[in-house]
Amino acid sequence: MLRKAHSLVVVLMMVISLALVGCSNSTNGNGSSSDSGEKVTITFMHLWTPGSSKQHNMIINNIIKEFEEKNPNITVKQETLENEQYKNKLKVLAASNELPDVGMTWAAGFLEPYVKGNLFAPLDDVLDSGLKEKFVSGTTEAYAIDGKTYALPVELNITPVYYNKELFSQHGLEAPKTYEEFKHVVETLAKNGVAPIALGNKDRWTGSLWYMYLADRIGGAETLKNAINGSGTFEDPSLVKAAEEVQNLVEMNAFIKGFNGLSNDEAKAEFTNEKAAMYLMGTWDLPQFTTNEDIPKEFRDKVGFFKFPVVDGSKGDVDSWVGGPGVGLFVSENSKVKKEAKEFVKFFVEKWGEMSVTQAGVIPATKVDTSNMDLPQMYIDVLDELNKATNITLFADVQMNPEAAQTHLNLIQSLFGGEISPKDFAKQHQEVLSQTK
Amino acid sequence: MNKMMSDKKVIALYVLPPLLLLMILVYIPIVMTGYYSLMKWDGIGSMQFIALDNYKQLLQDNMFWKSTYHSFLLALFSVISLAGYLVIALVLAGKIKGANLLRKIYLIPMLLSSVAIAQLWLRIYHPSNGMLNKFLMSLGVDDPPNWLADPKIALYAIFVPIIWQYAGFYILIYYAALKNIPSSIIEAAVIDGANPWQIAYKIKLPLIAGVIKVTIVLAVVGSLKYFDLIYVMTGGGPNGASEVIASYMYQKAFRSFNFGYGSTIAFSLLLICMLMTWLIRKLTNSKEEIQY
Amino acid sequence: MQKETVMEKPSMALVPSSRGFAKTIGMVFFYAILIVLALFQILPLVWLLFFSLKNNQEVFNTPLLSLPSPPRWENYVKVWVEGNIGQYFFNSVWITTVSVVLTVLLASFATFAITRMNWKWKHVVLGLFMVGLMIPIHSTLIPLFSFFMKMNLIDHPLSIVLTNIGFNLPITIMILLGFYQSFPRELEESAVMDGCSVHRMFFRIILPMTAPVIVTTTIINMIYNWNEFVFVNTFISSDEFKTLTVGIQNFIGQYTTDWGAIGATLMISVLPILIVFFFLSDKIMEGITAGAIKG
Repeated sequence: MLRKAHSLVVVLMMVISLALVGCSNSTNGNGSSSDSGEKVTITFMHLWTPGSSKQHNMIINNIIKEFEEKNPNITVKQETLENEQYKNKLKVLAASNELPDVGMTWAAGFLEPYVKGNLFAPLDDVLDSGLKEKFVSGTTEAYAIDGKTYALPVELNITPVYYNKELFSQHGLEAPKTYEEFKHVVETLAKNGVAPIALGNKDRWTGSLWYMYLADRIGGAETLKNAINGSGTFEDPSLVKAAEEVQNLVEMNAFIKGFNGLSNDEAKAEFTNEKAAMYLMGTWDLPQFTTNEDIPKEFRDKVGFFKFPVVDGSKGDVDSWVGGPGVGLFVSENSKVKKEAKEFVKFFVEKWGEMSVTQAGVIPATKVDTSNMDLPQMYIDVLDELNKATNITLFADVQMNPEAAQTHLNLIQSLFGGEISPKDFAKQHQEVLSQTK
Repeated sequence: MNKMMSDKKVIALYVLPPLLLLMILVYIPIVMTGYYSLMKWDGIGSMQFIALDNYKQLLQDNMFWKSTYHSFLLALFSVISLAGYLVIALVLAGKIKGANLLRKIYLIPMLLSSVAIAQLWLRIYHPSNGMLNKFLMSLGVDDPPNWLADPKIALYAIFVPIIWQYAGFYILIYYAALKNIPSSIIEAAVIDGANPWQIAYKIKLPLIAGVIKVTIVLAVVGSLKYFDLIYVMTGGGPNGASEVIASYMYQKAFRSFNFGYGSTIAFSLLLICMLMTWLIRKLTNSKEEIQY
Repeated sequence: MQKETVMEKPSMALVPSSRGFAKTIGMVFFYAILIVLALFQILPLVWLLFFSLKNNQEVFNTPLLSLPSPPRWENYVKVWVEGNIGQYFFNSVWITTVSVVLTVLLASFATFAITRMNWKWKHVVLGLFMVGLMIPIHSTLIPLFSFFMKMNLIDHPLSIVLTNIGFNLPITIMILLGFYQSFPRELEESAVMDGCSVHRMFFRIILPMTAPVIVTTTIINMIYNWNEFVFVNTFISSDEFKTLTVGIQNFIGQYTTDWGAIGATLMISVLPILIVFFFLSDKIMEGITAGAIKG
């Protein structure tokens, strides 16, 4: 009679002891106070997972190892998350004031709330110790608010138009230099059943790149920048015209079928499978087209790039790029091991700059000396272009504050989907930008 | 007997542990969400008390109402699909050969995580390579629809995987409920000369009415609250064409850094769900639970 | 009421043989539909298997249900070695098991008390549980994180077990509710007359009678907990406590994603549930009902 209750109790005991076993394994991983000589742990949270960013991750581990060797009392504890989840977790941690000692952040608009909340430590002291000159001009500025720098960038990217040289020559086409030539390329390809441009606008920032270049070429680099920072207006005619051009391109069937619902990965696949001839994307994709063995060499050899064409009679300049620094390292203002964390960041940035291009194919924000490096030709070309660049405009959704950025991205999707007029597009931008100062 | 069944100590013993857990883990966040909804807060820095301003903004927020409408549409389709699941469960619970196996197979999609289901359907819906469009093109359709890119159909396109995902769940519940009916009653009905339809309609259904009511509430609340596939497959796009309440909340709270307003949306969702549940109970109320 | 072992009289309610041909056609048609539906439901598994055997190129390039040649079993190796899947697997298993057992047990206690016992507040308490169903998870992240922080449970698997239980109690109770309400009162009356205490009545009679719904809710909880993702991602940082669902993130990079590896992880992650579900659910059911008969 008691048997059933008895066996139930046994089950419960087992369950509870299982839970306790799990409990006893718990560790408590917060940094201890920073007396030199005492054991110190730095928590470092980042995006470069060992599964997908193998080279990045390897470099990080090497740098950490070297740092730990040089500083035997310091241990660096890593946590990796993928992009979206990283952003979410960062927010949750920030709300409870539990940010890791060192972490990654994006520039400008993303950085702002954290800085306003006094969560990031200014890193000017780190820069002033000789590091500043090593950075490409304009990169650390993207992480500065009110004159203080809050993160040090470790990536720098520009966005060329990659194209399939073979598909082009098959149709008697060459890399266009002017926008008229570009439109001719688009028409020819479309007529012959080749999708001219691979675009996956589900994520919206991809379409934003196209808009930004058109805005830059038609209105010049300053117009867009001023519209965003409030000293100009988004309803400037050149910005409206850029929006019109976007819709013209859509009318011409310049983009792959169903682009507004495709992810960037799916679009990239169309380009890689040679169903589309052009792909506007950042230099973070360079490894795909140069060193990545998973992609057939045959295809990689066919890929080249050209700079976004100039629009005749307009202010734009062919050496003006859309791009900018990617992620940067921050130090938490409330970190108990701030001194050590800052040292780590300094060490990391320096070492990273030496290795990132050759080992991970990532262009760092610090200046790169290509003379001794053995790099694929496309890298050398890109780095040369970087040196010649007259301007790098930061991605619109990074420049803007988060609320405006979301609106911008949604408007981009509407614009590409033909659901909104260019005038309205500009007007709504102006509204949200002025409301969310 | 009544005394024993009203023994306060026993009741406390049985009810307090789960209730306590619930209050701590679920109600504290609910209260906090209500609290945050009265603030202007980016989720990171300091909060500023603005009372009902967020709610006023909500009432005028077109996107919110659009998402709510979408969520209700989903709820409607979910409830309608329940009828189909009921039929399948009735069939399976009747003495069909292989019912056991079939029931298990029908549940398979529910075992998969949303990530897997999303990937599968993304490939089915792909505008040029997808299974669906390739099939349509082979039938001669020239320009098959862009299922997830076309704002007019994206919403309905995405309802399909969502509803399909939960088919097994409801079939399982109905099946268990039907199996619970003592066969003596069914046999008695057969002896009385009832045919299968009459048995199903007049006997089985009323006996599992309680369970059916529960599934209606679950389907409605689950749909109103739904998030996963919308987030992964369309992100609420194109431009809000497939946005639902939960995805809109997520966007406001985590992407626009407007956590105060996001909390307002979340709390409003809670209120809407409560209202709907009350409505459903009122509409389907029977005074006596039928017992056998 | 005693559970009689009913003899399975063949399809008595369904096929009076006099209808003959038309009925047979009807049956064939009928079965055909059921089978087609079944195939449609198996599709995802088959697809997932093939998906996990492709590399990034093939994932986008080849048709949905094509088997890659050669099948890339190395995805599985990579996932096990580089992805630390073994650790995650273990964590998923024990967290799910503990959560499911506790949830179903506690829910049964609560539902029993609410449906069978007499007390004033039962409807209020039921309402409280039901409201727990209605809150979207993402909005609870920040408050819960703060709470667990204060309790020193951050980066501790107990936080996941607790949230699993807390958030699944409402739905479990709701499902149990429908079943509990349909049991006749005579049961309890006769038990009381036999001298049964409340506890004994619950454990020896009611609980075994709810065997089918216990299996059902166990399965449902198992699926939810096994695939639980948001909370693990937010509350757990150390690799040693992560679960399979979060382990997938290892393969999502900042700019590129390793789809084949993700497929392999998903496949590995669905197998245990499949096995438990397919083979064990009947055994669990037998075990519980057997307990009733012996008493």
